[in-house]
Amino acid sequence: MTGAAPLLQAEGIVGGYASAEQVVKGVALSAAAGELVSVIGPNGAGKSTALKLVAGLLRPSAGRVRLGGEDVAGRSPQAIARAGLGFVPQERNIFGALSVAENLEMGCLFERGAMRARAAEAYARFPMLVEKRRAAARSLSGGQRQVLAVAMALMARPRALLLDEPTAGLSPRAASELFALVRGIADAGIAVLMVEQNALESLAVSDRAYVLVDGRNHLDGPAAAVADDPDIRRLFLGGRTHPAPAAAPVPFQQPGGFP
Amino acid sequence: MPEDVLQGWLQALLNGVVSGSLLALPALGFSAIFAVLRFPNFAVGALATAGAYAAWVVNARLGLPVGAGVAAAFLVAALVGVLLEAAALERLGRGGALMKAIGSLAMAMVLENALRFAFGNDLQAFDLPLARDMLLGPVRIGPQQINNFLVAIAVMAALWAFLALTPLGRSMRAVADNPDLARLKGVNPRRIALITVAAGAGLCGVGGTLIGLDTAIDPLLGGRVLLSVFAAAVLGGLGSIPGAVAGAFVIGIAEEFTVLALSPSYRMAVGFVVILAVLTVRPAGLLGSRAA
Ligand SMILES: Nc1ncnc2c1ncn2[C@@H]1O[C@H](COP(=O)(O)OP(=O)(O)O)[C@@H](O)[C@H]1O
Ligand SMILES: [Mg+2]
Repeated sequence: MTGAAPLLQAEGIVGGYASAEQVVKGVALSAAAGELVSVIGPNGAGKSTALKLVAGLLRPSAGRVRLGGEDVAGRSPQAIARAGLGFVPQERNIFGALSVAENLEMGCLFERGAMRARAAEAYARFPMLVEKRRAAARSLSGGQRQVLAVAMALMARPRALLLDEPTAGLSPRAASELFALVRGIADAGIAVLMVEQNALESLAVSDRAYVLVDGRNHLDGPAAAVADDPDIRRLFLGGRTHPAPAAAPVPFQQPGGFP
Repeated sequence: MPEDVLQGWLQALLNGVVSGSLLALPALGFSAIFAVLRFPNFAVGALATAGAYAAWVVNARLGLPVGAGVAAAFLVAALVGVLLEAAALERLGRGGALMKAIGSLAMAMVLENALRFAFGNDLQAFDLPLARDMLLGPVRIGPQQINNFLVAIAVMAALWAFLALTPLGRSMRAVADNPDLARLKGVNPRRIALITVAAGAGLCGVGGTLIGLDTAIDPLLGGRVLLSVFAAAVLGGLGSIPGAVAGAFVIGIAEEFTVLALSPSYRMAVGFVVILAVLTVRPAGLLGSRAA
C-alpha cells in the first residue's frame, strides 16, 4: 500500500485489565478500506485484548488509534463507534434477551431515521433472519448468532469492522459461509480486522495478516506469505507442508481457554 | 370441608392478590434497578414512603384528587431516587455492588428520618370518601381495594408497554442483558441507569401510595414492606420483570394465609423463609436467567 494512511491504524498500543495491566505490550495493527486483515496468534497472546483497546472497551495506557485520520484512542466505546468503528466481540456479541428485530435496531442507534430501511436490507441479505425476527436472539444457533452479530454491526454502516473469532464454535460449513460473508464485507469497501483461530482458512480469504505473540507483533505481511512462513506453519498451523516437527505444535486454541 | 373454612381461604386469597398487586410495584422498581445497575437498592422502602407522603400532601393538604396524588408520588419518588443515586450511590459504585447496597441502606435511614422530621410520627390518612365493603359472593372487598388493585395493574401494563414498545425501554433491556455490547452500540450507560432509577423509584412511590391508601401513612410505611418486596424480587429472580410480579403475588398470598393459619405476628416470617428457601434451593429464582 502506498500514499494515504490506512483507514484504521493502531500504533504502539499498550493496555490490559485492572488485574493484569500489561497484556498488550505495544501492538500495531492497520487495515485499509476494502482490506481484509487477519490477526492470528496463540491462545492468550492478547488478540482479544488488543481489539478491546482499539474499540475503547478498555482504555489504552499508551498508543494511538487513528480512524480516518482522527485519533480516537482513549475515547468511550460509544464515541469510537460513532466515528465509524464496528466491533463484534468474541463472546456475548448479541442481546440474547431481545428479539432478532430489536437486535438489528440496536445496531442503528446513531441514525434512527435509517433504521427501517437498513433492517429491510439486512433481511434481504440474510433471509434466515426474517423468519426469526420475532424470536429471542438467544434461541438462534451458533452460526445464526454470528450472522446476527455481524448484521447488527453492519446496521451502523461502519467504515472499519473488528471481528473477534467470528467462526469459533461453528461447523466447517458455517465457518466457510462466514468467511465468504466477511470477504464480501471487505470487498464492499470496509476495512476489516479479523482475529481468527481457523488460521489457514482465515489467511486464505485475507489480504494481509498479523501474528501476535505475548502481547507484541511477531510478524506481519501478505496473507499468503504468512501462511507459507515455515515458522508460522510449525507454530500455529500444524506444519502441514513440512516434515512433522519434533515437538508437538503449540495448540492454536485450547478448549476452555480464557476468553 | 366446612363452609366457613372455605370462605376464610377465599377471603385470604382475595386479600393476598390485592396486597400482592401493591407489593408488585416496589418489587418491579427494585428488580428493574437491579437488572440495569446490578446492585440491590434497599432505599426502595424509603422511596415508597416518600412517594406516599407526596401523594398525601397533594391530596389531604392541597385538596386535590387522589389521582393527582399518585402522579405526584411517582414524580417525587423518581426525583428523590435519582438524587440519591447521582449524589451518593454512584460514587460508591467503584467499591462494588456491596458498597452500593450498604450505601442504599444508609440513604434509606436518612430519607426515613427526614420524613419523620418533616411530618412527625403520627399516622396520616388520605382524604377519602367513606365507602362500604362490597360482598362478592362469600368474600368482601372494599371499593378502595378494588381501585388500588386496578391502579396497580394499570401501572404494570404501562411499564410493560414502555419496556416492550419504546426505544428507551428497548435500550434498558439491552443494558440489562449485555452492558458492554450496549455501550458498543452507542447507548450511554449512565443515562439509561438514571432513567431506570427514576422509573424504578417512581414505581416504589406509587406502590407506597397505594399501600397508604389501603391503610394509613407513617414514616415506616415502606420500611415495613421492604422485606416482602425484597423477598418477592428474590423469589421471582433478581432482575426479572415478570418474576417480580409473580413473586409479589406469591408473597402477598402466602402472607395472608400465614396470618390466617398462624397469627399476624408471623407475617414478617414469610419473607425470611422465602428468601432462605430460594437461596438454598434455587438461587436464580423462579424466572431469573442468571444465578443471583
Ligand atoms: N477480563 C480479563 N481480566 C484479566 N485478565 C484477562 C481478561 N481477559 C483476558 N485476560 C488475560 O489477558 C491475556 C490475553 O487474553 P486475550 O486477549 O483474551 O488473548 P487471546 O484473545 O489472544 O486468546 C490472557 O493471559 C488472559 O488471561
Ligand atoms: Mg481471544
